[in-house]
Amino acid sequence: MSQSVPTDTQQSVDAPTRSVGDLLVSLGVLALGGYFAYGAFNISVAQSYSRVGPRFFPFLVAAGLLLCGALLLVQALRGTTALPEEGEDVDLDVPPDYRAVAVIGASLVTYVLLLEPLGFVLASALLFWGVAAAFGSRVWFRDPLVGLVLALIVYLAFTRLLGLRLPAGMLAPLGL
Amino acid sequence: MEALGALLDGFAVALTLPNLGWALLGVTLGTVVGVLPGIGPALTVALLLPVTFRLDPVGSFIMFAGIYYGGMYGGSTTSILLNTPGESASIITSLEGNKMARRGRGGAALATAAIGSFVAGTLATAALTFVAPLMVDVALRFGPADYFALMVLAFTTVASLLGSSVLRGVTSLLLGLGLGLVGIDLQTGQARYTLGVPEMLDGVNVVIVAVGLFAVGEAFYVASRLRRGDQDVTPIRGGVWMSREDWRRSWRPWLRGSLLGFPLGALPAGGAEIPTFLSYALEKRLSKNRAEFGHGAIEGVAGPEAANNAAAAGVLVPLLTLGLPTSATAAIMLAAFQQFGLQPGPLLFQTSPDLVWGLIASLYIGNAMLLVLNLPLVGLWVRLLFIPRPLLYAGILVFAALGTYSLNNSVIDLITLFVIGFVGFLMRRYAFPVAPAVVGMILGPMAEQQFRRALSISQGDPSVFVREPISAAFLALAFLAIATPLLAPLFRRR
Repeated sequence: MSQSVPTDTQQSVDAPTRSVGDLLVSLGVLALGGYFAYGAFNISVAQSYSRVGPRFFPFLVAAGLLLCGALLLVQALRGTTALPEEGEDVDLDVPPDYRAVAVIGASLVTYVLLLEPLGFVLASALLFWGVAAAFGSRVWFRDPLVGLVLALIVYLAFTRLLGLRLPAGMLAPLGL
Repeated sequence: MEALGALLDGFAVALTLPNLGWALLGVTLGTVVGVLPGIGPALTVALLLPVTFRLDPVGSFIMFAGIYYGGMYGGSTTSILLNTPGESASIITSLEGNKMARRGRGGAALATAAIGSFVAGTLATAALTFVAPLMVDVALRFGPADYFALMVLAFTTVASLLGSSVLRGVTSLLLGLGLGLVGIDLQTGQARYTLGVPEMLDGVNVVIVAVGLFAVGEAFYVASRLRRGDQDVTPIRGGVWMSREDWRRSWRPWLRGSLLGFPLGALPAGGAEIPTFLSYALEKRLSKNRAEFGHGAIEGVAGPEAANNAAAAGVLVPLLTLGLPTSATAAIMLAAFQQFGLQPGPLLFQTSPDLVWGLIASLYIGNAMLLVLNLPLVGLWVRLLFIPRPLLYAGILVFAALGTYSLNNSVIDLITLFVIGFVGFLMRRYAFPVAPAVVGMILGPMAEQQFRRALSISQGDPSVFVREPISAAFLALAFLAIATPLLAPLFRRR
């Protein structure tokens, strides 16, 4: 069964080769723990309230995060590196493509900014196009068109059949 | 038997035309999202929550249960025919299943998976029917301290069993617990961690967290490591059926898988992964064809697939009788109950018998529908594997944004979604399991409430948790669940 048990981490055998990413992640967990501890001090507690108050669980979570962050830091310093998750569409043998991540990030920011001014249909079509491009699609005329048709169908189904409200935006004059 | 009468009433609910329609819609959707990579039952139910807000709760839950069961069936099709390793719950099936498919025995592999899922699902649903009322009797005796200890046990098992590093599981769980703290404290009305944003006073919606971690995080991650080239789908030769020999080799693994899966799924022990692993190991030991393992042994598909489905039914026992979710999908179902103002637990069996028994009856019906959907129609689902990935993930993100925005028509929710999505990307990259965060987020506020309730009953005396025998036993088990994997290496070295 050795091949079937997935392992999450890998220990470098010879001189510790430290991964900057693992170090940063452990520092991030520590920072999050610090933030929760800081926030817990700022939760006001009524003086008369003697029982376990609203601060107790926040302190517990903060302490847990600080402990886990410290252990992760020790692991990272010792050269334990996390192995990325496997998946059907994931190829761990190719170098990670952070440009694709950036393109999706940019598409999401654009979506947040344009959803209400442009309306659901146009903003969603743009998001669809951007994400498809990030996934390496180069069929420029197909992607925005598919996105537009999909968004239009979803918009009509949601607003007409299910009675939910979505921003009409620039398409409002068309009576949508 | 009391349970049989209740079940018959449940069938009267589930067999009405609209509810049969919801069940069919649910199992079809479930099969589709089970087959498709990048989207699963937890995400689908989360995305449907805003839509079902105005629907009848009974119909909605029958649909959700169909999605939940359907996802299990659909997942096996992918792991048998797609020649790439999937997520860990289905990786076992692909070990032997894909080897069988490549030797031209894909039809038999799909058949034993579907029929085994049906057998196990039906047996486990029957077990659920009779175990649930007994559990309700036990649960009615639980006090706040016992509930709190039980939730601690669920936390530790979920954190240590999902994924293989306890440290990373616990970190993920704590992240979820932290997210659950955001908002107004129910007991004292104090705002916690709201960053001064008024929208945050209501807390972070679990739908946003689930959709962010599952859909947006997955899209980011897959984009960064996309498998290029054509999809490597192994074609099925011949029909989807089994020979007499296949039947002979399959029926015992089905039964053993069911026996293993249901109790392990019903324990608060993190869902379907462990029983699947155990069933594979067991079949490999017991098989007369041990040499065939690793090259496409049908027992290695039949057993784990049965265990998988039986565990899925088992997970419903703590969810329905105790209100305790032990997998990501169960956590989302709990959120769905809360959306309808219902609290799963022993009282739900008394206050909403229609809903509970209608849901259980619909599981029998759903399983029968899934057998029909997955045997003759499997060729249809296989085509889903050929959807170009850019269009698939673009569509998933459009639906993720839509589902989130339609919760409150709020752009703040969208920003939260995308930030959490990026966290989900980092978690995948750095091997933190995502499911403990979702379970922690939904269960955390409940645990805090029970904890404080127990202490106010005991006048602030913390020994209440160890003086109550049930509570003490749960806490001891919880300690073992965390300590065993951490301490085991120390002993092995000597």
